[in-house]
Amino acid sequence: MKTYDYPKSRALFERAAKVIPCGIYGHLSPAPLVPPSHYPFYAQSASGSRFKDVDGNEFIDYMCAYGPMVLGYCHEKVDAAARSAYETGNCVTVPAPVMVELAERLVDLVPMADWAFFAKNGNDVTTQALMVARSATGRKKVLAISGGYHGVAPWTQGLGHHGVVEEDQANMIRVPWNDFRAFENAVYSHPDQIAAFIATPYHHPVFVDNEYPAEGYWNKIVALCRQKGIVVIVDDIRCGFRMDMGGSHEYFGFTPDLVCFCKAIGNGYPISALVGTEALKNDASKVFYTGSYWFSAAPMAAALACINELAEINGPKVMMEYGKKLLDALVELAKKHGYDLRVTGSPSMPYLRITNDPTLNLHQDWCSEVTRRGAFFSSHHNWFMSCAHNEDDYKKTLEIADKAFSVIKKNEAKYL
Amino acid sequence: MDRELVMANLNAYAVLQNLEDLVALDPESAQAAKNWKISIQFVVRNGPKAFVSFRDGRCKVGRGSYTNPDIILFFTSPSHLNKMFANKANPIPVKGFTRLGFLTKDFTALTKRMEYFLRPTDELLADPQYLKLNTVFTLNTAAFAVRELALGDPLCIPVAKGIPDGIVLLKILPDGPAVNLDVDDGDMDVQKDDVARPAAAMYMKDMKSANLFLNQKMDPFTAIVRGDVSIRGRIPFLDAISLILDRVEGYLA
Repeated sequence: MKTYDYPKSRALFERAAKVIPCGIYGHLSPAPLVPPSHYPFYAQSASGSRFKDVDGNEFIDYMCAYGPMVLGYCHEKVDAAARSAYETGNCVTVPAPVMVELAERLVDLVPMADWAFFAKNGNDVTTQALMVARSATGRKKVLAISGGYHGVAPWTQGLGHHGVVEEDQANMIRVPWNDFRAFENAVYSHPDQIAAFIATPYHHPVFVDNEYPAEGYWNKIVALCRQKGIVVIVDDIRCGFRMDMGGSHEYFGFTPDLVCFCKAIGNGYPISALVGTEALKNDASKVFYTGSYWFSAAPMAAALACINELAEINGPKVMMEYGKKLLDALVELAKKHGYDLRVTGSPSMPYLRITNDPTLNLHQDWCSEVTRRGAFFSSHHNWFMSCAHNEDDYKKTLEIADKAFSVIKKNEAKYL
Repeated sequence: MDRELVMANLNAYAVLQNLEDLVALDPESAQAAKNWKISIQFVVRNGPKAFVSFRDGRCKVGRGSYTNPDIILFFTSPSHLNKMFANKANPIPVKGFTRLGFLTKDFTALTKRMEYFLRPTDELLADPQYLKLNTVFTLNTAAFAVRELALGDPLCIPVAKGIPDGIVLLKILPDGPAVNLDVDDGDMDVQKDDVARPAAAMYMKDMKSANLFLNQKMDPFTAIVRGDVSIRGRIPFLDAISLILDRVEGYLA
């Protein structure tokens, strides 16, 4: 089986490094992909479940642009909707009617939602959610989960990170996931001071197993928050529309006050949304929050087409089923080679880890050997399934994974 | 912990240990120290305690008390020690008055030689032997400094709290030098040694890449993507250590 080379990616990176900090910054940096030499850096084209890099190598994509791609790259219905908006007028002095249509559709789709607000990125709406909660409660402090990710604004990052100062963190209180006692202690230690609790519907950090909420966890959280006047914010940016079309909180059986969506909402078009209950609509109106491109019609049209299509085909079910089928097969394949492959999180966005080597070196080697043979696997981040992944992808992925297991077997003594 | 105390800990525990490698790797220093048989205890009121001993042509630097040292140097405060390291103050000898000549002449010459290797210029770095020593010193100082900042710097303490137990290796390829940090239950032990199966590892391609990287002349993300530096294993360890390392310059620049 051929392994890929990446000379054009490398050459482009050298040019990038001269004029862009880090060359490729942020979550798309190849730095945590171990080793970077086995991974492509730049895409030339994409279609369906696959993309081709600038060296002409094709990859079955199990990262889906880290979430946004949900129906398939260059999905005709979504692109046609966006194209139509681009042709008639995208970013104009006044918004387009599609803004109203999209808001109505989201209110219709997400049972707890009485209104919707649109921005560009996930962090736009997680920050907005905090501001709405503070306006509504008159309080400053925010409870969040240790290791929980809500973007990159200073309030979301830990103290000690570059550009973050003590004042940015002064009102953040972090508690461990699935520890209701710690949550309760934090609430009672700060009486009438906590504006909001923000968390992802289940815990999906990088490099470690993902964790679903324990039985009753969310219901206890919500009950205490209601009692104490704390706004419950679900950051559904990563999971949204991959578990339940009504929001991932529906999957887990609880009702928050505010929900943040991004990633899968537009199949790659830049848009995010904050939805909320009637009780918070007034405060959402009072918080001054806006952005130059937030009213652009094309991403809204794309989002409307995307969520309509996802609802039509029951996208979450499609992705969960493909995910389960693939993951069960990978676990069996791993067993055949003498490895324990642990899968955690939703089948539509699983985190995988070969547990035989607790340092993750073996897992890093396996993922990189798979990637350089044509299926893009991240070793540190949860994967993403899409509605475009198909039977051909399934078969090819298993073939590649099997080969990669054989390859790492030869060097496993280094790590075991 | 106040800044002067953190700085004093850095000077006593991270900078001073470079004397070991100076004597081992610099022929001029090795020649000077080859017949020395003497030990010096540094005692700082409300601050660090460290010792330097010379025996059999080798130098050993350690934390804490040395049994029956030949010389005891007392500092009235962490600030006093820091001023000495900045050549702006003298210690107070409380034992070993007959060995003052060694202190003012031989030991001072050695510390000046150490300082020479700790203040690189592009011109000096063009010499492979200088490059090697500066790189070894920078690597080891960085690793020992991580421990002190993890325990004492207010911005590093929260970062360090998130580091799980395990060993992190920093190594210059192909054959070293290497230094490892063993995190265990909130404490950190640093050893100048390679380890076989670290929880996380950072490998620098060669001496030149290591020098650029450790002296912050190379953006780490670019260096990793290019392969000048490679990271493996439980990378969150390295993320945390990298954040702490970035703060060393604020103290020791």
